[in-house]
Amino acid sequence: MSHNPQSSDGKHDDDSTLSDFLASLMDYTPTIPDELVEQYLAKSGFQCPDVRLIRLVAVATQKFVAEVASDALQHCKARQDAVVKDKRDKQQRDKRLILTMDDLSKSLREYGVNVKHQEYFADSPSTGIDPASREE
Amino acid sequence: MKDGGLENKKELENSKKQSKSSKFRSKNDDFSLAIAKVAVAQVCESVGFQSFQDSALETLSDVTARYIYTLGKSATLSANLTGRLESNVFDVIQGLEELESGLGFADASDVNRCLANSGVIRDIVHFVGDAADVPFAYDVPRFPVVKEREGMGSFWEKGEEPHGEHLPSWLPAFPDPESCATQSTVGNGTMSGSNGVKTGLVGVERKIERPLLNCQKQFARNGNLRDSSCGAGDSAKAREASNSNPYLAAPLQFREKEVDVSPVVLPTKLSNEVVLRDSVPENHSGEDQVSVLETFAPAIEAMKSGLCEYDGSRQKNVLYNQRPTVHFKIGIGKKSLNTAPYFVSKNKDIHKIAYWFENSNEKDDRKRRAEIFSEESMECSHEPERMK
Repeated sequence: MSHNPQSSDGKHDDDSTLSDFLASLMDYTPTIPDELVEQYLAKSGFQCPDVRLIRLVAVATQKFVAEVASDALQHCKARQDAVVKDKRDKQQRDKRLILTMDDLSKSLREYGVNVKHQEYFADSPSTGIDPASREE
Repeated sequence: MKDGGLENKKELENSKKQSKSSKFRSKNDDFSLAIAKVAVAQVCESVGFQSFQDSALETLSDVTARYIYTLGKSATLSANLTGRLESNVFDVIQGLEELESGLGFADASDVNRCLANSGVIRDIVHFVGDAADVPFAYDVPRFPVVKEREGMGSFWEKGEEPHGEHLPSWLPAFPDPESCATQSTVGNGTMSGSNGVKTGLVGVERKIERPLLNCQKQFARNGNLRDSSCGAGDSAKAREASNSNPYLAAPLQFREKEVDVSPVVLPTKLSNEVVLRDSVPENHSGEDQVSVLETFAPAIEAMKSGLCEYDGSRQKNVLYNQRPTVHFKIGIGKKSLNTAPYFVSKNKDIHKIAYWFENSNEKDDRKRRAEIFSEESMECSHEPERMK
């Protein structure tokens, strides 16, 4: 019982934090447009007249994309640093940062999304093996 | 392995089709995917990327769309589990926690936490605080666009009483009897003007057909137009509709042709016979077979008057005086006996076989060949009539 007043105050604080945050969302315009979010939410059966929730979903999605992209950026920069260590004098680091499938698949792997491409396709399981071992 | 691959290919395609149709992406998704690509590109640019691979951008935008979709699905599920149709903020937070549970978030292990105090929300708050406010590049219209559908013209909408108790009022109302008896003022507007003589029988059939077509048009238009008043005023509309919409045009009777049959174009030397020739294709409704000799009589006479050469694809060499003008190239090629199987009718077979086994001089050969050529050309002028 003694916990209750404090916890109820805490809950009030949490609620107020949340509601303040949701109100502040209306000032912030997420990069992902509301119409797009509404389209996919409607596809999934999500029903809510409250616009703030749409904004919340949009912001959460933007955060997700930003995280994936920053992970991919780190992979890209790490690769470029590895290349530069070999040839320091002549070539400068390639300044263009390109989002490649390779980096993207590595960063998405951590989020549970598997977009790995096959590196090569072979005719049979024994392709490329030494003839001696193949005969065995 | 190769054979196995080929066998499985069709199954793979079928399963892909099924999975595509039952799952996320539909063929009408192009617009929203394009918008997603732009949005994702903007976010990546704010992170620091300067350019993107096409496939990578497509993949990431697809993943983003699925993220939103999955979030909505789990929020809806949470709401439905508690007996609500509309989701609230806690459903959304629960969905977010599910998605973030792979990587984890603060306080994920705390069993007694309140959803409002969730670590996910705190992360988002930090993100909003740090991230730059980059609005979307384009103005996005509201989509998908919902078409305004007009009413079906039910009894209830029209304010009419249904004709009996067995007819519910939400059914479409009956058309007026006057529209079904509308005369063929609509009539010839749909047909091409160059059509010539029509027999009386055909005209009567057309008139009988016309009221039925009117009724059909009424039903077709009731879906489109609000004002469904019947009467002669609609005949003009029907004509316009049928003029603009080929599917509403009157069906063609047997032996009628609406399409202009291009007449045989002769070189300019025979231009005085062009008028006669133009009248020939229009006699299609009444007559089954136009006499070929009549058709080609002027041409043959012109030929006999000493015309030697024609340019164009019709003629190959200098012609003999007795040879008719037109050589249809359909399956003929060189006029040798062996290479014209189509044009050998049965009563000619014996004649030709007899010819093959005869010993003859060269002159006789030429004479006979000329005869056979003229016979075959008569046959091939019959041929296009047959082939029509």
